[in-house]
Amino acid sequence: MNEQISALTDDEVAAEDMAHILTWMQSNRHAATAWSEYHLIGDVMRGTVHAGADSLTPDDMLGQNFKQSLMQKLALEPTVLSPNAADAQYASPASEQHHKKVPVVWSIAASFAAALVVGWMALQQTQTSQELASVEVAQASVPAEYLAAHQVSAPSASSYYIQPASYSE
Amino acid sequence: MAVGMLVRHLVLARLLVVATLATGANVWAANDDAAWQSLQKAAAAARALSYKGVFVCQTGAQSKSVQITHLLNSNGEFSRNVVLDGSPREVLSQGSELVIYNPKNEKIVIEKRRGQNMFPAILPANLDAIKESYNLRAADLERVAGRQTQVLFLEPKDNLRYSYKFWVDVEYGLLLKSVLLNQKNQAMESMAFNQLSLINAVDLDWFRPNIDSNKNYVMETEVVTAVDSNAVTYWSLKELPAGYRKVDQAVRMVHGNALPVTHVVFSDGLASVSLFIEQAAKRDRHKTAMKATHGVVGNASFYASIVDGYQLTVVGEVPEATVAKIANAVVFRK
Repeated sequence: MNEQISALTDDEVAAEDMAHILTWMQSNRHAATAWSEYHLIGDVMRGTVHAGADSLTPDDMLGQNFKQSLMQKLALEPTVLSPNAADAQYASPASEQHHKKVPVVWSIAASFAAALVVGWMALQQTQTSQELASVEVAQASVPAEYLAAHQVSAPSASSYYIQPASYSE
Repeated sequence: MAVGMLVRHLVLARLLVVATLATGANVWAANDDAAWQSLQKAAAAARALSYKGVFVCQTGAQSKSVQITHLLNSNGEFSRNVVLDGSPREVLSQGSELVIYNPKNEKIVIEKRRGQNMFPAILPANLDAIKESYNLRAADLERVAGRQTQVLFLEPKDNLRYSYKFWVDVEYGLLLKSVLLNQKNQAMESMAFNQLSLINAVDLDWFRPNIDSNKNYVMETEVVTAVDSNAVTYWSLKELPAGYRKVDQAVRMVHGNALPVTHVVFSDGLASVSLFIEQAAKRDRHKTAMKATHGVVGNASFYASIVDGYQLTVVGEVPEATVAKIANAVVFRK
């Protein structure tokens, strides 16, 4: 059922199914918590976190303690999340539908982001560019990506200190 | 009378030349062994000595000064390398593991990698593989970083690798300067100390990065997802270019590609080449006779082709002939 909630959050589920899930959620407290938790993940990834009327930055919401407790809990139970401030403060399901549509890849990325809160930005970059690159393989960019992979596994003496011009420093 | 004098001069001159050649030949032979011993000592000294200094790393148009501290104690080898120019960057290594701290904007990106090829420890501990593919000769003495050094030329036996010029500290045995030269004798990469001293320190207070602990850090996760220790069934290698052996093989994600890629690394002891094998993009899958793409990116040569529906990409700091040979050595089972 939590997967369906995740799918619902990411706008993947048809409207008729939505009604069924919403009914179930109203009667099930655990599901309601899961809903707000999945939205927190989505909001963190989009760079906005809502708490009532104010908009806090991810850093405000996700202090060191949160990250630590999150990662500890994930070590025990990967699918159960419990942010420090989990309560009815989060925006109601109805208003969430006004958010822009999140690509399908986010639902997979959400579980990764939960496991690697500290590294989610790097992963976000990877996921989006994978989606774009699968459509078109540009020959000109082929060497740069492979050169980078080559330098991770077989670095030249200078590659630790001098990056190729194509990378931003 | 004058002619007689001339003949005598010529005879003397020729004797002198012959004598020089004779001693020269002996000097060469003696130097060959002595030269390899010198290089062996340099390979060991980089790891066994404790030292600190500043070296300049240069490739093409870019140049960076790096401050290095290296120590060997009962717990192993530790080193800290701080890039002094441009954007802050530090490489800390412990044994064969290393971590690169790269403060970018408000975040510190930490990359973890296996440590290898870190100046001055760019030579492998065992030089046997290198002896197969390179000749070594000693040249004169030169002064580097205020110290007396022996110049050594490491020259390839064929056109499948580049050459090196080394300056080895006569007293410490340490490699003080190393220049990678292409086939036109142009410097592609240069690493040279301009300050060096041995240290007696036993503590590791210096072995930590200078980063703001209040800033968030992003760990770039290792992209290698699996290691194939056994031969993969769908491809195999015909004859590899002389001196090159497979040293590593893994399956990984390459940035920008949706599917995992097989990554094989070859080395002749000094130079490394990567081979990437993956399924060709859908539209290219049926092109068996596609013209190969090849060229040079910075110091690296690359070669890409499509064979039997697979895309091969080969890249390495080696001449173009080598990457082409490796690509052509891959065969796919029907």
